[in-house]
Amino acid sequence: MPMGHTATAQAGSGGLTATEHRLANGLRVVLSEDHLTPVAAVCLWYDVGSRHEAKGRTGLAHLFEHLMFQGSGQVKGNGHFELVQGAGGSLNGTTSFERTNYFETMPTHQLELALWLEADRMGSLLAALDDESMENQRDVVKNERRQRYDNVPYGTAFERLTALAYPEGHPYHHTPIGSMADLDAATLDDARTFFRTYYAPNNAVLSVVGDIDPEQTLAWIEKYFGSIPSHDGKQPPRDGTLPEIIGEQLREEVHEEVPARALMAAYRLPHDGTRECDAADLALTVLGGGESSRLHNRLVRRDRTAVAAGFGLLRLAGAPSLGWLDVKTSGGVEVAQIEAAVDEELARFAAEGPTSEEMERAQAQLEREWLDRLGTVAGRADELCRFAVLFGDPQLALTAVQRVLDVTAEEVQAAARAQLRPDNRAVLVYEPVEPAESADAEADETDADTDAHEGADK
Amino acid sequence: MEYHPQPTPGTARPWAFPAPERGALPNGLTVLRCHRPGQQVVAVEIFLDAPLDAEPEGLDGVATIMARALSEGTDKHSAEEFAAELERCGATLDAHADHPGMRVSLEVPASRLAKALGLIAEALRAPAFADSEVERLVNNRLDEIPHEQANPARRAAKQLSKELFPATSRMSRPRQGTEETVERIDSAAVRAFYEAHVRPSTATAVVVGDLTGIDLDALLADTIGDWTGNTVEPRPVPPITADDTGRVVIVDRPGAVQTQLLIGRIGADRHDSVWPAQVLGTYCLGGTLTSRLDRVLREEKGYTYGVRAFGQVLRSTAPDSASGATGAAMLAISGSVDTESTGPALDDLWKVLRTLAAEGLTDAERETAVQNLVGVAPLKFETAASVAGTLADQVEQHLPDDYQAQLYARLAETGTVEATAAVVNAFPVDRLVTILVGDAAQIEEPVRALGIGEVSVVTG
Repeated sequence: MPMGHTATAQAGSGGLTATEHRLANGLRVVLSEDHLTPVAAVCLWYDVGSRHEAKGRTGLAHLFEHLMFQGSGQVKGNGHFELVQGAGGSLNGTTSFERTNYFETMPTHQLELALWLEADRMGSLLAALDDESMENQRDVVKNERRQRYDNVPYGTAFERLTALAYPEGHPYHHTPIGSMADLDAATLDDARTFFRTYYAPNNAVLSVVGDIDPEQTLAWIEKYFGSIPSHDGKQPPRDGTLPEIIGEQLREEVHEEVPARALMAAYRLPHDGTRECDAADLALTVLGGGESSRLHNRLVRRDRTAVAAGFGLLRLAGAPSLGWLDVKTSGGVEVAQIEAAVDEELARFAAEGPTSEEMERAQAQLEREWLDRLGTVAGRADELCRFAVLFGDPQLALTAVQRVLDVTAEEVQAAARAQLRPDNRAVLVYEPVEPAESADAEADETDADTDAHEGADK
Repeated sequence: MEYHPQPTPGTARPWAFPAPERGALPNGLTVLRCHRPGQQVVAVEIFLDAPLDAEPEGLDGVATIMARALSEGTDKHSAEEFAAELERCGATLDAHADHPGMRVSLEVPASRLAKALGLIAEALRAPAFADSEVERLVNNRLDEIPHEQANPARRAAKQLSKELFPATSRMSRPRQGTEETVERIDSAAVRAFYEAHVRPSTATAVVVGDLTGIDLDALLADTIGDWTGNTVEPRPVPPITADDTGRVVIVDRPGAVQTQLLIGRIGADRHDSVWPAQVLGTYCLGGTLTSRLDRVLREEKGYTYGVRAFGQVLRSTAPDSASGATGAAMLAISGSVDTESTGPALDDLWKVLRTLAAEGLTDAERETAVQNLVGVAPLKFETAASVAGTLADQVEQHLPDDYQAQLYARLAETGTVEATAAVVNAFPVDRLVTILVGDAAQIEEPVRALGIGEVSVVTG
């Protein structure tokens, strides 16, 4: 598309640069300087996620991530948290299908501490790992599962749709949180083996972004990480590729105590990192992103059959991405009526493609999301790791927004025609088992700061 | 691997919370601006003096519907066109009503600020409030209520407000109204509320971001400078009172696998000199997973994914305002525990509070908390939106523009004894209202046995 659509001259990269380095033990390092604020972000991606888990051990990658905060060779107990927070930093870790990440954002003068801590657990976690932390964090993770999935309406929808969209035996068939039974079954030996297999410098990328002296930073990285031995025990994950089209509509109906009927669906879409995936992203944004999208206008504004209606994209590199439809019905509206309207809109879009105004809006929205992502040192550090781990080139992070802006209306239409169709989706329908009780509600929870660490992020 | 000793920190580079430049437009609108180099996404916060207690009797929720209706069409654009034009700027717009007033929040890339501000000006100056759009928003709001009712955290918050505040107080009732009140709202009610409470002379706009090359004065004059309105006397603000007699209310959720806890009362706001000590002490009690509560409930016992203690200002007025100092903050502890552990978790929670009252905080705890609260400031305020949000909070709470900057100095000066006294006063064991959303059949008896107050069970 013409450059007239871009909000900044550099289309989001803002003139940012990154340099790449590799230690002798295989650790890849990405550095990016930015001296506007006296902070530095450290981000470490390990190339291991729930797709690497074996049958009967779902949830192990995420449970293990919790164990990484339980001390290491030179760090006692909760020291990773205590030391970073006591230095005025913030930290966390998350686990997804494809990777596990750990990150600290520090005041500049405390950067060395974060590097020392990450190196200590990469090199010596097993010196501290014991039964007590294993049992404790097993309980914590089970409570995380209850809080985020089992005790909230529609909480297991993600898990159910994933299981439908990826066949039995596929590495993405189960989600990072895992099952209660498998969480119960995990042993200390499983955790040790997991560490020995996947936690190695040659299976990780470290990025440091912000108010840094690159030469000094690299010297610290060499000092702390340089002596950690590499190892090659890791097997590649099982192949996640699937045919372009599911070939039929998969469907599950759930009868549960939920407040309203819902129609959710997952469409099989191109792998992340492809131009076709960016085209699909734009198609989903035109159809179901924001308050001027086709589905919002049709279902919420005109038909008034839905409380909310939208599409999201779960980008995946090692398996087809998922286009995520979520519609909660209004009043007593039947799901069939919603489904017919959605199909009509998808068919019309496939036939006509986006208007030039719709393209402009969708690209402007995605561009702002990129500006937000790259607007903090932590966001930038995470994106550099993402492109390095999943696509082998961190520089791609700095040009990602330009690639979205380069996609044409024809490509967006082609993406919709190829894959946004009824024979390429898994559908999940919720039917309330009893009428939701009517009473008044508080819409604004007094929301505690939820920086409790991590989560199996979606 | 080769072990190295823990490194020592370098020299801190100074950082200060940004000082905004304050001014006013000829139409009476107060403007705060703040240039943040590198922040390409500009944040605009507009505070409107349209508090919830100004809603007419029986029309709870009209402020919320009005806030939402602002972006649903103007004299120049239909609702659909307005949404499309905003998104064409790559902008996001959020408007919501709360006890102190209404907030309109815009985020937009700097290069498209002019166009987006033009749209906001239109929404403030000439909202359409078309019958059909208001009717749609009312129905949409009615549809949302059962979803909120089903959410354990929201259900708990609703019950706590009902328990704490007298029934005559707007604070005792849901901010966005009940089914009974929302269904009465129509476009005439929305317009009447707008006409009574929305005007530039009582509003403030905060603009933060990389303003390089932007003539903000000209831009404001061309956009929200056109908005006109009369002036009014400030509204009297009623003081906030609450009944914090220690008691337990169980909201029954048969079969729930967890119990949602919300334990609260009200206490000092930012105008009270105890605020920094209260922030520090509350952090030590439950600010993070290494604080006292999670140290036991999570990291020792595994009862929870995390429990937090916090203070959140409900509404404030300055001591030298016409109403005097009337403000208060909600002080609360919140989290969820598995059903079976509900009794033991509450028992431990009370033990933590009693131990804190008996033995106080340690100097080391206080030191770590100060280091964290002061040290994270540059990261917390990296984005334009976070700076704009805090500046608008200060305006809303009648605080001086340098409040946040001064707060860091005051936190650093606060000692262990003061922090202990503040947190013990904030969370006295016999003056806490406990809301439990969970399976009454399983949790009622164990909770009764704790003796933390009279226990009652409600449904719905």
